Order: sequence, then C-alpha cells, then structure tokens
Amino acid sequence: METITLKGRKVVPGRARGEAVVTTEPVSFIGGVDPLTGLVTEPGHQLEGVCLAGKVLVYPTGKGSTGGSYRIYDMAVHGTGPVAFVQLQSEPIATIGAIMGNMPVVDALDRNPLEVIATGDTVEVDADRGLVIVTPKKRTGPARP
Amino acid sequence: MFLTDREKRMLDGEMGYPIQKGMQIMTVLGESFGAERMVDVSSAHMPGASIMLLGRAGMAFVEEMAAKGGQFRTFTTTNPTSCDDTLWEKLGIGRDIVDLQARLTAAYQKLGAITCATCTPYFTGNAPRLGEHAAWGESSAVVYANSVLGARTNREGGPTALASSLTGKAPAYGMHLPENRCGRLLVHVTRPISGIFGYGSLGYHVGAVAGQLTPVFSGIPANVSFDELKSLGSALATSGAVSLFHAAGITPEAPTLEAAFGGKKPETELEYTAQDERAAIEHLNLEKSDDVDWVYLGCPHCSILEVRDIARALAGRKVHPEVELWVNTSTAVRTLARHMGYAAAIEEAGGLIVCDTCPAHTPSREMAKKQGYRTLTTDSAKMAHYVAGEVGFPTHYGSTEKVIAAAISKRWEG
Repeated sequence: METITLKGRKVVPGRARGEAVVTTEPVSFIGGVDPLTGLVTEPGHQLEGVCLAGKVLVYPTGKGSTGGSYRIYDMAVHGTGPVAFVQLQSEPIATIGAIMGNMPVVDALDRNPLEVIATGDTVEVDADRGLVIVTPKKRTGPARP
Repeated sequence: MFLTDREKRMLDGEMGYPIQKGMQIMTVLGESFGAERMVDVSSAHMPGASIMLLGRAGMAFVEEMAAKGGQFRTFTTTNPTSCDDTLWEKLGIGRDIVDLQARLTAAYQKLGAITCATCTPYFTGNAPRLGEHAAWGESSAVVYANSVLGARTNREGGPTALASSLTGKAPAYGMHLPENRCGRLLVHVTRPISGIFGYGSLGYHVGAVAGQLTPVFSGIPANVSFDELKSLGSALATSGAVSLFHAAGITPEAPTLEAAFGGKKPETELEYTAQDERAAIEHLNLEKSDDVDWVYLGCPHCSILEVRDIARALAGRKVHPEVELWVNTSTAVRTLARHMGYAAAIEEAGGLIVCDTCPAHTPSREMAKKQGYRTLTTDSAKMAHYVAGEVGFPTHYGSTEKVIAAAISKRWEG
C-alpha cells in the first residue's frame, strides 16, 4: 500500500497509530466530547456524533474551556479518547492534556493535513521524528473529510 | 530551554517530588512552544476544581501532589466546584458528589489554595497588576486577567496551573512576551451594544473568527462596565481560543488603536453587523418550545453589581412556582449580597443564590432528570454553548431582562 509522509514539528513526544478522524473546525473537549464514550456532542459541529476513541484526531486547533486538559488526560488514561493529535497549530490546553496522557502531538506540517488526510485513512504519528505517515483508505473521490 | 541553577535543582528533584513533577510538565510544555526560559509568577488560578471536569485521573494527580507535601508558592485561587455545599439537596445534587468534592477541595486547601470556588477570582482579591506574570486557567478569567487587568498569562490547563503554583514558575512563551500581545484582528463596533447578552453575542461571533488571534475592538463606549467586558471575554474564549483582547481607549494596553497593534497594521478587519449578531444568537437560542423551567444568571459568576440589579429587577415580582431561578456567584459575593439585603430580595421573589458551582460544573444531566428540567434559559453566550454540548439540552438565549421576565411568566417570548 502506498503511503504519504508529512513532516512537521514535535509538540508532544511519542508514537501512536490509528484511524484518522478529520475536521476543519476547532475542537473543545469540554462541552464538545463525552468523556465516557468519546462521542463528539457539540451541536452543529462537523464531527457531531463521531467517536474519537482510539482515533488520530486531525484538526486545526483547540478552543474553549481550560478544563479540557484534565478531560483529555482522563480520556487517555481510560482509553476513551484519541491516541494522537495532528494539528495545524498547537495551543496549550490540548498540549497539556496530551503531555499528561502521553499522547503524541505534531503540528506545522509541510502539507496541509486537513487536505491530505481523509477520515478513515490509517495514520501513524511518530512525533519524536516529527512524522505523520498516512496510508490512504481505498477511495474514489478526492481526499476530503 | 535555559534553566537557572536553582530551576535545574528543582527539575532534578532536590526540592521534592511535587516541584520536580511541576518542572517536568512545564519544561515539556515550554519546549513545545519554543520558550527560552521560565518567568516567576506570583498569582495562579486553578481550573479543574470540580470533580466533574477533573475526572478520576486528574483527581489522583492532585491528591498525589498534596499527599507528597506539595506547597503552593503563589496566591492561588480555585475555579467552581461540582456543588453548593449549603444548597445541594435542594438543587438535586447527590451526597456522593458532595463528599467526593469535599475531598478534592481539602486537597487544594492542603496545597495552599484559597478555595474561593469561582470563575471570577478577580472579584475576590486575586487581581494581578499590569505587566505581572501569572498562571491562570478558566478561559474567561484568562481573558479578563490579560485584557482588563493587563496581567500576563497563557491559557493554563489544570495540570500547569498546579505546576506553576508548586514552583512559582511558568514557561516564557505566548502571552508572557510583549511582542505577542499586540492586536492582529480589528473589529469595528458601530452599533450600540449593551449588557451581558449584547457583549456575549459580540464575543461569540468574533471568537469564532479570531481563533487564537488577539482581536482589537474599536467603538466600545467609555462607559462599558466591567461585567460587560467579562461577558465579552468569556464568549471570545468559548467559540475561539482567545487569550487577550484590546478595546481602544478602554483596556490598559490599548490607550489608542495604534498602540493596541504595536504600530503594525491589522492582518484582518471586520465590522460587526446586525446579521452577525443575529447569526450568533440563532446558534445559541436552539430551544424550539417556548416553555421555561430552569433559568440561569451568572456566567461568569455575578459581581455584586449584577446581583444588585437582579434584586432590583425582581422587586415586587414572583418567580413562577414551576420555574427554578439560579443566580450564581461566589460565596464571597453572596455574603456581601446578604449584608446588602440583595440576597433576601432575590430569595423573597423565589430565586436562589447558588454559590461555588454552575450547570457546567455540576452533574447536570442527573440533576435535570431529577428536577424535571428539559431546557435552560440564560443571558450568557458561554453557558448556552456549554450546556448544549456538555449537558445535552438546548437553551433559550436572550437579554437579562427577557430571561428574568421568562422566570416570572414561564414563557419564552421568541
């Protein structure tokens, strides 16, 4: 299977692999995601109803409540959250949660991950080397979420 | 990242495990944001003070720091908890929640926090001055501290607000550096705006456009109240990840529009139109039925002036017997409201002054089921947003006057 490799910046070290969930909207883990199930709950959000557990979340950046750090940490410990973040630009709240939960995070990639990666692709995040390795799901249309 | 000899000893564990753990968290964070050094901080505000937001893993972390002898070196205040420990039974909150919360609050007290349990710690004495470095969480309070007080804090999560409190340090990136505090986005406010609702709608619209960028408002009138600025900031940090705004001629780092941009040109410019305002309101006023059951004022927590104005608006009126009206604030402000007679006036009308918590920090789903609530009626953009996503029921969103009228009539005049 052909892979695409994106090169970026390590935000939080570590390696993880999972299915991609891609959104062009910022995400808040408080008031936006159910911690027990990993389902996105924010009304009208592109990902409303989508489950983030075990996934690699590919999104522009975080927003909203500073309670998000402990929420991300708790979800990481209990396996209900994403396993890695791929972001356009990192922000402290998600980064702090990821540091506590040992979740790899990369940002500032050489190609726009929101365009290159599609929901359902398999993504390996090697934050130590700043790499995101994408194995595209078989698809007919363009790589859009 | 450069560390002084003393900071290195802190990181090496010479000053105990809690300080070492705090330095570890902050060096990883600092390195990921390109911080070159640490700054000394003297003021902190702790998010993650409610067991509902903290989770089991976070609770274990805070208790471990307290058990291992951690001691705060900063003036640290705490955010709202999961309950009002004088009204919990009446509100429909379970005993188990109250007990678990007491354990967490005791851990924060042991660490040295002043557990004022409010999202408006600046009304209870935690008010870092212009240019002072701080480590604050609570997104609305971060914006208030940076914008209205002129202090310098990033958006801290619970773990780093704890780390900074234990060490008296914060990594020097983002809002700590003057070059990052200039405006990037210019917002023209050309129509009259007022109240918690008016400023909240403005903030909710602009936050979504701004993301992490610092907006500068032109056209905010000189008589804007600190409650209106608190509402503006809280909404900016709800739809976006804003840490700081400037209002030309109003906030301390923006004596003029030019000063707010640090002599540079704005990257983006927009005018806040009537259509923008309508869109923000429609996004939050999601409840279709006109029936009202749970009415909420005080997000962020009311100042004493807001409590006074609500007491005056309720004079000679009665809250509908099938409606619960919450006026939320801190224990400190409720004590003053009792002293002033405002609390008696609100209670006489059938309202409750609820302290130390809010619907986003309580076990609201269970509580709503028990109390038979199916919607929330509020004047706060922030509360309307989070109740929809966190509790799962839609809100009526409108002006304070309209919300109070709905508490009396049990009807939402759409």
